[in-house]
Amino acid sequence: MYKWLSVLSMVVAAQAAAEPVIIPAGEYKPAVLLDETVEVVVMPAFKLDAAPVTYAQYLEFVSENEKWQRDNIAAIFHDGNYLKSWPGNEELPAGFESKAVTQVSWFAARAYCDAQSGRLPTLDEWEYASNYYLQQQNLSDKEYAQMLFARNSNPTAYSKQDVDANIEHLEYMHNRVNEWVEDYQLLLTNGDNNDLLAGSCGDSARFMADFGDASYATFFRYQSRSNYRPQSTTSTLGFRCAYDMEK
Amino acid sequence: MKTFIKSAVASALLVSFAGLPVIAEANVPLKHDSEYVIDGKIYGMPKAKIYRDDYNGPAVVGDYVTMVPHLAELDYKGNKEHEVRMDVFSQKVEVAPGVSYNAWTFGGSVPGPVLHVREGDRVVFKMKNRSTEEVVITKPFKGASPYFDQIAANQLQKHQPVVAPMPHSMDFHSGTVAANDKWATIAPGETIEFEWIANYAGTYMYHCGTSSVLMHTAMGQYGAVVVSPKEGYPTDKEVDQEYVIVQSEMYLEQMGEDYIYDHSAALARDPSHVVFNGHVSALSENPLKSNAGDRVRIHFLNAGPSGTSSFHVIGAIFDKVWAEGDPRNTWYGMQTVLLGASSSATVEFIVPEEGVYKLVDHEFADAERGAAGALYAGPRKK
Repeated sequence: MYKWLSVLSMVVAAQAAAEPVIIPAGEYKPAVLLDETVEVVVMPAFKLDAAPVTYAQYLEFVSENEKWQRDNIAAIFHDGNYLKSWPGNEELPAGFESKAVTQVSWFAARAYCDAQSGRLPTLDEWEYASNYYLQQQNLSDKEYAQMLFARNSNPTAYSKQDVDANIEHLEYMHNRVNEWVEDYQLLLTNGDNNDLLAGSCGDSARFMADFGDASYATFFRYQSRSNYRPQSTTSTLGFRCAYDMEK
Repeated sequence: MKTFIKSAVASALLVSFAGLPVIAEANVPLKHDSEYVIDGKIYGMPKAKIYRDDYNGPAVVGDYVTMVPHLAELDYKGNKEHEVRMDVFSQKVEVAPGVSYNAWTFGGSVPGPVLHVREGDRVVFKMKNRSTEEVVITKPFKGASPYFDQIAANQLQKHQPVVAPMPHSMDFHSGTVAANDKWATIAPGETIEFEWIANYAGTYMYHCGTSSVLMHTAMGQYGAVVVSPKEGYPTDKEVDQEYVIVQSEMYLEQMGEDYIYDHSAALARDPSHVVFNGHVSALSENPLKSNAGDRVRIHFLNAGPSGTSSFHVIGAIFDKVWAEGDPRNTWYGMQTVLLGASSSATVEFIVPEEGVYKLVDHEFADAERGAAGALYAGPRKK
């Protein structure tokens, strides 16, 4: 009986997410100039999940929201592979409780965050938080770029590592999964016009604030994610939620 | 068909009025209302289709699709429509002894398969983005191209399926189309289907054009299309062997036990390896073969992504070189052919004696990093 209780409490503890962390207001210089007239973005404070959403947390969500269960999701909200690795509607693949949830479409990620009274972070918020994280972790540009290219070289090896859902500081920004953001579909602009060279074989130099390793790595994240559809689900794409500061 | 004949005749008339030689008309029939003919070449392909389907058949399909250095024989007369599939997915491949990385590939190898067609042929191309799947290419598959058997017989790259979800695209340099439509990027699970006409003879690169195009190509997404001239090369009857070599650079760094892509090195054009046909030992473990007195033809493509190649055969002179593989671009008596990234040449030489002939990139910094191979010549048979 005691044994059971302790197991139960562990499960409950694992599912209770830590409080989101506050990302303080500040200025941020995007690595990629999406609009050539804007070099510095002023960011208000906001809150962001410390870790990507885990399978256990997502299970809780689908248990309460049947229409987002694997067999019940509307066809227009996914590409056919939504939660494909789950044995059942409310059954996780074995051993996946503490991994970042993947095989979720942008629609599903938004619905999850909405249910937590949150939302997906904007691209600016996510990148601003990433800068904040790199400073906190004291990671050099070179280390950051290497981390990102290493993940892109073998994404499955990273997505299969556990995350600590109770962590109290910002974590796992670059070494678990790629993450959905609200405005993930890039609209590269040139003043008022869409950029003609966006898309295939685009030279990225026109968009770079500087030409260091870190900026190229960041640009690669922008670009590859922007080619997904909102229905796309993959085994290496997850998300975390953002929240406005209380007024 | 009616429209085609009318426009073909009209263009032929126009050309002859202008005092220029009349160029032979196109041989494959027009197929879509959007198509038109200029100088015997067909333009105006219909829009690409992008859709999702559950395809899990062979990842490479096409009777004239082979593994480097092989080139399929064109055993048909005139022109033909080819149904070709090269799915895109990841694969762990070895590029040097003990050095493997998770490549992004067309069809599972680096370089990807060789497609052989004739000038004027139509290619109906399909590609599914299967980067979310483990795709096995080392087992025989019914309906697969000859490429599959050749991979099974040559396991130098030690192919192992890996999952690495990523959007990708296909850009055939041999196709003349609007790139924003046909070379569109597709997300994992999607299939793209489009057509192109092999309007120009030559050896052409194909590659993924998705940003960062440097990373996508350096990760292994390239290969060769050989478009043989409609009227052939003047030496067709004398050629004893015909091979394909694709040169490329690898930018790898060690991380733990694995090797990963090094973007800084790629930007600095400082490759860890430069390879013929995807492995530093590809053409020494399995040398090209011929006999003394043979005429050997090599379709040589420098895929880059960023470096040049100065291709040379030690002990031979290229008596004929067709720049880019176009039979109108003939050079004679070349010791070395200099090729920029994505350039090609079709070279021929007489194998002078029995022996071993080394093939090198005469830019020795590249040869030292792996761009070397061999042709083994047996005794004269003629």
